[in-house]
Amino acid sequence: MSVKKFAVAVYDDEAVLFPAVKKVRSAGYKIHDVYTPFAVHGLDVALGEKESDLHVAGFIYGITGTATALGFMGWIFTTDWPQNFGGKPTFPLPAFIPIVFELTVLFAAVGMVLTFCYLNQIMPGVKKHIFHPRQTDDKFVMAIEVTDENAASTEAFLKSTGAEETKVEMAEADWWYGRFDQKEEYEIKQQLA
Amino acid sequence: MLNQEFKIPAKLKTTSLVLLVIGLITLGAGVATLLFSHEVVSQTRFWAVLLQNSIFFLLISLASVFILSATSLAQAGWIVSFRRIPEAIGSIVWVLGIIAGAIILTLIWTDNYHIYHWLEKGNIPHNSLNTLKNFFLSKPFFSIWTVVVIALWGWLGVKLRNLSVQQDSEPKGSTKTYWINFKYSAGFVFVFALTLASTIPWLWIMSIDSHWFSTMFSWYTFASSFVSGMSMIMLWILYTKRHGYLDIVSDEHIHDVGKFMFAFSIFWTYLWFSQFMLIWYANIPEETIYFKIRMHGPYKFFYWLNIILNFVCPILILMPRPNKRNYFVVVLVAVLIIFGHWIDFYQMIMPGTVGADWQMGWFEIGILCGFVGLVIWLVANKLTKAPMVPQNHPFLKETIIHIS
Amino acid sequence: MHLKYESVIREALVDGKKDYHQVTEDICAPIENKPTKLWKIGFFLSASLLLFGVFSVGWEVYWGTGVWNLNRTIGWGWDITNFVWWVGIGHAGTLISAILLLFRQGWRTGVNRAAEAMTIFAVMCAGQFPIWHMGRVWDAFFVLPYGNTRGPLWPNFVSPLLWDVFAISTYFTVSLLFWYSGLIPDFATIRDRAKTKFRKAAYGLASFGWAGSAKHWQRHEMLSLVLAGLSTPLVLSVHTIVSFDFATSVIPGWHTTIFPPYFVAGAVFSGFAMVQTLLVITRKVLKLEDYITIGHIEAMNKVIVLTGSIVGVAYLTELFIAYYSGVLWEQEAFRLRVMGPYWWAYWAMMTCNVVSPQLFWFKKLRRNIWFTFFMSIIVNIGMWFERFVIIMSLHRDYLPSSWSYYTPSWTEVGFYLGSFGLFFTCYFLFAKYFRLLPLRKSSLS
Repeated sequence: MSVKKFAVAVYDDEAVLFPAVKKVRSAGYKIHDVYTPFAVHGLDVALGEKESDLHVAGFIYGITGTATALGFMGWIFTTDWPQNFGGKPTFPLPAFIPIVFELTVLFAAVGMVLTFCYLNQIMPGVKKHIFHPRQTDDKFVMAIEVTDENAASTEAFLKSTGAEETKVEMAEADWWYGRFDQKEEYEIKQQLA
Repeated sequence: MLNQEFKIPAKLKTTSLVLLVIGLITLGAGVATLLFSHEVVSQTRFWAVLLQNSIFFLLISLASVFILSATSLAQAGWIVSFRRIPEAIGSIVWVLGIIAGAIILTLIWTDNYHIYHWLEKGNIPHNSLNTLKNFFLSKPFFSIWTVVVIALWGWLGVKLRNLSVQQDSEPKGSTKTYWINFKYSAGFVFVFALTLASTIPWLWIMSIDSHWFSTMFSWYTFASSFVSGMSMIMLWILYTKRHGYLDIVSDEHIHDVGKFMFAFSIFWTYLWFSQFMLIWYANIPEETIYFKIRMHGPYKFFYWLNIILNFVCPILILMPRPNKRNYFVVVLVAVLIIFGHWIDFYQMIMPGTVGADWQMGWFEIGILCGFVGLVIWLVANKLTKAPMVPQNHPFLKETIIHIS
Repeated sequence: MHLKYESVIREALVDGKKDYHQVTEDICAPIENKPTKLWKIGFFLSASLLLFGVFSVGWEVYWGTGVWNLNRTIGWGWDITNFVWWVGIGHAGTLISAILLLFRQGWRTGVNRAAEAMTIFAVMCAGQFPIWHMGRVWDAFFVLPYGNTRGPLWPNFVSPLLWDVFAISTYFTVSLLFWYSGLIPDFATIRDRAKTKFRKAAYGLASFGWAGSAKHWQRHEMLSLVLAGLSTPLVLSVHTIVSFDFATSVIPGWHTTIFPPYFVAGAVFSGFAMVQTLLVITRKVLKLEDYITIGHIEAMNKVIVLTGSIVGVAYLTELFIAYYSGVLWEQEAFRLRVMGPYWWAYWAMMTCNVVSPQLFWFKKLRRNIWFTFFMSIIVNIGMWFERFVIIMSLHRDYLPSSWSYYTPSWTEVGFYLGSFGLFFTCYFLFAKYFRLLPLRKSSLS
């Protein structure tokens, strides 16, 4: 829980957003985050974000699934309860392939989605501050953390980058448990009090 | 740079001619051996190797025509940047077709029943159960269908190329030839479905094991030829790029071709596994005999080599994204895939012909060299005949700014 | 980054000049407005069908599977036919969302949400059939490999029927994850537009608190790509495994190696037809003609003619190889399919699946809404018959005294109708409360 002060700029178009991001970064501001209604190709690069390693996690989960399926079925069929099914060998690898494959995919998919939720800190009941009601519709929103001293100058700078609308507001920088139908300004005030 | 024309580098010319000469010498030596030795095994080996190589190189070149047609029908923009390469490969199908056709027809009309066992009298009894089989595997039907199919393939391969070249001299923005090309592509896919995806592999390859049958066989052959065809295109793209052509082919294009090689290697494995597993599981002796000689018999080595080269290598090497963009790695995998599927065709044809007496010696390698040289020489010459990039294709601009 | 260029050959994917906000308005309108009369009628009808299905299944559970007309020779009837049919329909959703994503087909955005939802519902319907066929359904958990008190007793991992359990449940889970992870940002849009307290709270929960941060979008893209990469072989494997149910046996007409890819092609074929049926109705009822354009419908029809022809080649291959094989039993099985007591099913299949889709070679017909709608139904009938034809290979046996004929009882028909009820009830709820189309850059260019 950390309520901070942000200078917020709202952009109308990606074509304005990209040069703005570049200007803001080269002017030495540290961008808290940029919110977009859809994935904007190349924005992560423009923001200097590292490439995500989510797929590596997926690969590890997948291998775990393969090993689990092979190990479990192999143990049952060779050690725990060997049986003769249709004259097949006790370790009938070709007949194991379907289940091995399914479990590989299952482990990889479930593991990746859970990791995704964990990394993004999202789950049912989680609430985050929404700077602009249309940031999930058609507007592109950039937020920069400011202090009381540089708030006005940052806002003015953002205005100069072509923002359609700018403002300075107090907001929760992190996530918290909450409901979206409840007023959050109230919570913020309470915390400040 | 867009209207650059290909000039064959001297080294490539020499290499291809040297390989071609090696092939011809090998062929001559093979004929000489046949004159002095009347052993059945060496005769069978001679013809089986010619059959394997001619069919293999015909089918992987034909894959280019299919790739062209399929991407035209799907209106894929990205492929346009290197379209001239599959076009060039496709337009030599007729040469390889004549070679393969000549070899196959010679086998049929000289009653070479060591290759095609059904040519032997009584191999397939004439009774009511075999009415269709006796018609399908009869000399007249076999020959007519072979000739018709090769003619159709050759003609459509040349036609698609000519249409594309014709488009170069059209006024800017004209889409007339584009739509004609679209119709011919649809026609080719139709022909392809009735030939390569069904009848031709049954006739040319499956009938070697004249009592064995598998409904999957043709689709399996298709997957094999498709993935090696894609690899061959990849090799040509990278080769020409290295010599300063095809600037507009970016890493993104290479990556996409790499993905195709990766995905269709998996697809091939899927078909391979389905065919193998179903036969293994049902365990019907008439069917399992096909795998017995390959898996447990004298072809054990090739059986596993086939899986390692065509499944394990591509999937492990091409899975990480950077590897699909690394030219050296991609070239390595492409060569592995082409060689792997050459082995695949080897293990399709040899067990039913030379059987336990297989050899992998000077003759096999020499003939392989000859065909490689021939294909390089023919394709390189074709590439010089037109600009390396289609000048007027409606998707040209799209392909230049192709991003992932 | 803004290098997006479309050739003159291509059609616009969204008709009319629209900006992002207009797109959101149009797509959210069905969710935010009161349900229309058409929607209410449709929902009521489907819910009644579902109730009838529940009654039929209840009847079967109470009296046992004996109320179905299965007999000693024909041990599988409508039940498994419907199972395979529904699983097949589900495949188009994954194909559209995963394979077309990998192939970068821009037009998929117009149809993928509906198709993915359809996958989930179709798999739910499919799952019903084997579960209720168990008879003692309260023991259904026996199929799972769990430590139990009956000694080391495990399910038979070598049985294709057990592979089905793994395949279908994995497929359902992965499709659900893929679909839901795509929906999270859409729910966030609805949440932030919501006027009522309840709506804000409900969609707030459903959106997982998504705010649209750039880093999160980057991970989201990666997740979608990898899930698509996983789903593509998964979708192949699922229908492959369903085909193994038949092909691993030694029954003439069932044991044939082409089954796996041919089942997959057939699945895509019927699935696209079902998506087509739903979209033609949805775009009309929800007034989304500008987003689900004729261009989309034509592209889907092309896939239908392609997969229909693949299936056609497979039918002819099977028939040809049966005669080529020289095996008496194979030949007889196929003679009976074509000319036996179930000849009508075979010819219905051939007409609907192979012959009639060829009409889509004509551009005029591909772009005709009414003809498309009609054909989509025909294809689904044909694909149902395909499974029926395969399963009815059972009606002859090596022993003539076992020869038999099968017609379904009312409970079997009721069960099938009930599955339609389930499917459409879910779909109507989905179309009303979920965003049908995602907002994507590519859908605007």
